[in-house]
Amino acid sequence: MTKTKYIARKQELPLKDDATGIFLQVIISIAVFIFAITLSGVLSINSMLHNWNQSILGSITVQIMPVNDANREKAAAETLAYQDKAVEFLKSVDGIIKVTPLTDQQLRGLIQPWLGDGVNIESLPMPRIIDVKLSPQADIDFAKLAQDLSAASPQASLDNHKLWLNKLIKFADGLKLIATTVLVLVIFITSGAIFYTTRMSLGLHRNIIEILHIMGAKDTYVAQQYAKRMAFLGLIGGLFGLLFGIPTIFFIGSLAAQIEGGIISEAALSISDWITILALPLLAMTISMLTAYYTVKNTLQKML
Amino acid sequence: MPEKQKNNDSIIEMQGVGIRYGQGAEILSDIKLSLKRGSFHFLTGKSGAGKTSLLSMMYLSQKPSRGNISVFDHNINFTDRDSLSMLRRRIGVVFQDFRLLEHLTAFDNVALPLRVCGMDEREVRKRVSELLRWVELDQHMLDTTATLSGGEKQRIAIARAVINRPELLLADEPTGNVDNFIAPKLMKLFVELNKLGTTVVIATHSDKLIKDFAYPRLHLQDRSLRILYPSDRSSLGGVL
Repeated sequence: MTKTKYIARKQELPLKDDATGIFLQVIISIAVFIFAITLSGVLSINSMLHNWNQSILGSITVQIMPVNDANREKAAAETLAYQDKAVEFLKSVDGIIKVTPLTDQQLRGLIQPWLGDGVNIESLPMPRIIDVKLSPQADIDFAKLAQDLSAASPQASLDNHKLWLNKLIKFADGLKLIATTVLVLVIFITSGAIFYTTRMSLGLHRNIIEILHIMGAKDTYVAQQYAKRMAFLGLIGGLFGLLFGIPTIFFIGSLAAQIEGGIISEAALSISDWITILALPLLAMTISMLTAYYTVKNTLQKML
Repeated sequence: MPEKQKNNDSIIEMQGVGIRYGQGAEILSDIKLSLKRGSFHFLTGKSGAGKTSLLSMMYLSQKPSRGNISVFDHNINFTDRDSLSMLRRRIGVVFQDFRLLEHLTAFDNVALPLRVCGMDEREVRKRVSELLRWVELDQHMLDTTATLSGGEKQRIAIARAVINRPELLLADEPTGNVDNFIAPKLMKLFVELNKLGTTVVIATHSDKLIKDFAYPRLHLQDRSLRILYPSDRSSLGGVL
């Protein structure tokens, strides 16, 4: 058996010994950490917007204002009578497929998170709410419907969600734009760090690169060694970033879940969202690899 | 695209070549040279005469400040980077200061030109092992070159230059650091390679080498190049 069988090939460029390796790994870890959290924010906002849009398309809410009377029982009975009139009217409208007045218990459930447990809800003048489901093909003139509704039941008013939801959607879109800008900046800064450390390393290993060139190495031969090393650093850095990012996402999620009956509870991440987040180390690897490869190619163009 | 020139038996052609560094005076001026395929030349001249600069232009590490150089029928002024790399693979170079990659083993250093070409690793191992045995360094093949002596490094440098069976071999003082037993053996290797068709240029200060091997000399003096044949040797007293 010859000695040569045990020879392990070593990379010509000793990139593993570069002190910048650790620096880059830390930078990439932080970048992936920020990226993962921001991306989870963007994806959550997307799911929230989707849910809101669905709710706009399929339903409207009718509110029956409580009748003002010193006799609470009489006032409640009159309010209920207005609700019945409204229900009767709504059932007769074309395009409305389901009319469901909310029960006392459901109403309490809606109000409780805002007022807390210590308030006697029974003592308050409670409005009644009617949930109205629309046919997907319904072509309803909401202004006329609101007019006809108040004629049929003077205490009733129509709320088709669109007005206030549009404001929320605009706000969410703004947040999404900011988050997307952060994502682009993170990619830009990481690529910049890889660009400058690669250039620095090329200067450091100039003598070896000259020898490789004299031996007939093409620029791609050198670029591939850098790309391979940076891909490794990107992957490991990315995995570390994700290691800290995922618990943070869960922590933020648990904080959001504490806002009961609120808007944020609709911002859940789907399986495909999680797959996207888990793929971030691969994205970091690809960006690191390509940045290093093209940096080397462009820099070496200036040498003979 | 590389400019392929009219085929002739010259491996290197230089016309009106000059080289200078920065804004300094020219080190070499109006060099005219036609190096025939299969020839063997010594390159001589005093220290600082420009031998290393001339060699570096021959192995395509440096472009001339003016004039034209054609290597393997390609004018290097009009040859793209990838094509220059392909031309360099046909040239073997031995540097005066060896220029080995000190963090690599003797084996990896000698294997370098083959791996750069993408040769199969089994073939690389076979060829490198054989050559290292031939230069009597097979016992050191797994040692990093930083741990080897000057003579051993020189033999590694020579092995690296010839491993790819180059068409052109350029050597700068290749026997300067080896003993009297190894030096003739290395020269024999260059002669054998030359007989097999390799064009050889050896830069040297060694009178003995020039006397023992009656090859023509490319002699640099006063920034110019002259070709001296063995019969002219007596006219060169003191210039080596």
